Amino acid sequence: MKGYNFAYLDENTKRMIRRAILKAVAIPGHQIPFASREMPLPYGWGTGGIQITAALLGMSDVLKVIDQGADDTTNAISIRRFFALTAGVATTTHTAGASLIQTRHRIPETPLRQDQILIYQVPMPEPLYRLEPNKSAAMRLHALADYGAMHVKLYEDITRFGRVATAYNHPVMVNRRYLMSPSPIPAYDNPKLHRMPALQLFGAGREQRIYAVPPYTEVRSLDFVDYPFHPGRAQHNCSQCGSDDSYLDEVITDNDGGRLFLCSDTDFCQNRQKAAK
Amino acid sequence: MTTLLKAHELRHSFGATPALDGVSLEVRRHEILAVVGESGSGKTTLLNVLAGRMNADQGTVHYHDGANLRSLSELGERELHRLQRARWGFVEQNPRAALRLNITAGGNIGERLMAAGDRHYGNIRAIATHWLEQVEIDPKRLDDLPMNFSGGMLQRLQIARMLVTEPELVFMDEPTGGLDASVQARVLDLIRSLVRRLGLAVVLVTHDIGVARLLADRLIVMRQGLIVESGLTDQVLDDPHHAYTQLLVSSVLPA
Repeated sequence: MKGYNFAYLDENTKRMIRRAILKAVAIPGHQIPFASREMPLPYGWGTGGIQITAALLGMSDVLKVIDQGADDTTNAISIRRFFALTAGVATTTHTAGASLIQTRHRIPETPLRQDQILIYQVPMPEPLYRLEPNKSAAMRLHALADYGAMHVKLYEDITRFGRVATAYNHPVMVNRRYLMSPSPIPAYDNPKLHRMPALQLFGAGREQRIYAVPPYTEVRSLDFVDYPFHPGRAQHNCSQCGSDDSYLDEVITDNDGGRLFLCSDTDFCQNRQKAAK
Repeated sequence: MTTLLKAHELRHSFGATPALDGVSLEVRRHEILAVVGESGSGKTTLLNVLAGRMNADQGTVHYHDGANLRSLSELGERELHRLQRARWGFVEQNPRAALRLNITAGGNIGERLMAAGDRHYGNIRAIATHWLEQVEIDPKRLDDLPMNFSGGMLQRLQIARMLVTEPELVFMDEPTGGLDASVQARVLDLIRSLVRRLGLAVVLVTHDIGVARLLADRLIVMRQGLIVESGLTDQVLDDPHHAYTQLLVSSVLPA
């Protein structure tokens, strides 16, 4: 597109973001500050993810954007179109065919490969935020690896509800060192973070932080020995493709309590439907 | 008795006001040392410096970790933190400042265990129950929120939370300051029996001579950042030499 640099951001900004990404990859799970730019979309819509994508896109890349697993929601469509317009790169909805995948709050069901990069949009990068609102104090806790307070929260959950009640954004330990917020992905997706072949990058635009999980890095969800981590999922089959092991969305269909469940990953679901025909 | 904590020539001033003006002292294993003095005499500053919560302008604090005397300033933040969380304890005057009020009593007691790496829910609960009993709180209150506890119970909960890692050295800043007389007596009684049973060393800051007489083996009297008198508690209180100590002892209201 005329009047814009390739992929919207100017080259110096991209370089700055790439430096932050390199640091983030060097220290898995550690949050790296970066000079987040104003982007032509509101905070909370993926300003962090979109900047990482812009910094990484090359001419030959194929981009996929998902929002809660779906390729066809407003957020996903507009970000995909944004890069088709400003970078002229190919876009796709197929997980297997994409080299860059920007995601909001899901990991695709189809396992990712070494030659792919997964970019998360993160609203709040600090996992200790609710326990320690003071940012410099939280950084001290990270530096000292003093994460006992996080287990206090899990203890409280088990005491009150009989199980850990965080269904999403369940905190993880990366490479046995840093506590990390997995952006709000469902707990169901947490096991996929562990030793994933693809590079995982996390961008928080408003909070100005980038962090990363390099390929094949150990990522463990916090739990207790006698209350192991449990990735939850609705106990139903997908009404469209019949899958009994994918993550499901619950859709209310009428005012009489009617509801149905279907895969949150639209690409996965459509592939299964095609294969069944 | 061996030395556990040793302070040498501590000096600290806030602006032009000296809070510590060359204070040296020793705390021995299993002994209770009371620091008494009027408001503004530097008691709390001394306690904070000894506990590694703040750095004095000058002077050193050494801690005997079982093998060697080590300077707090050379420990490094991580090790100091670990020391404060596991082998030391701190009892605040106001338990609300130390406790997490929106977390159950069990969670509060368990926090130190979880910080030390205990990852077994059942274990943590069992230990928390044990310590609730030790501080005479009904174990049924294990899953209750501290915000529904009375002042005396909060103070006892704070003590349980601190004792759960079985520390060897405990700092107390007016532990019964905000409590009414009968509750105060009960908490003091509890502290006295626990300290003796567990063999703790305690540095106790108080302006209440009665508390010092009840609990302390040795006594230090501070005034304007200086130690004006020190010695065995009964000795100092029964036969005060310094004019200020005499004033302090004579100004206690008869019960």
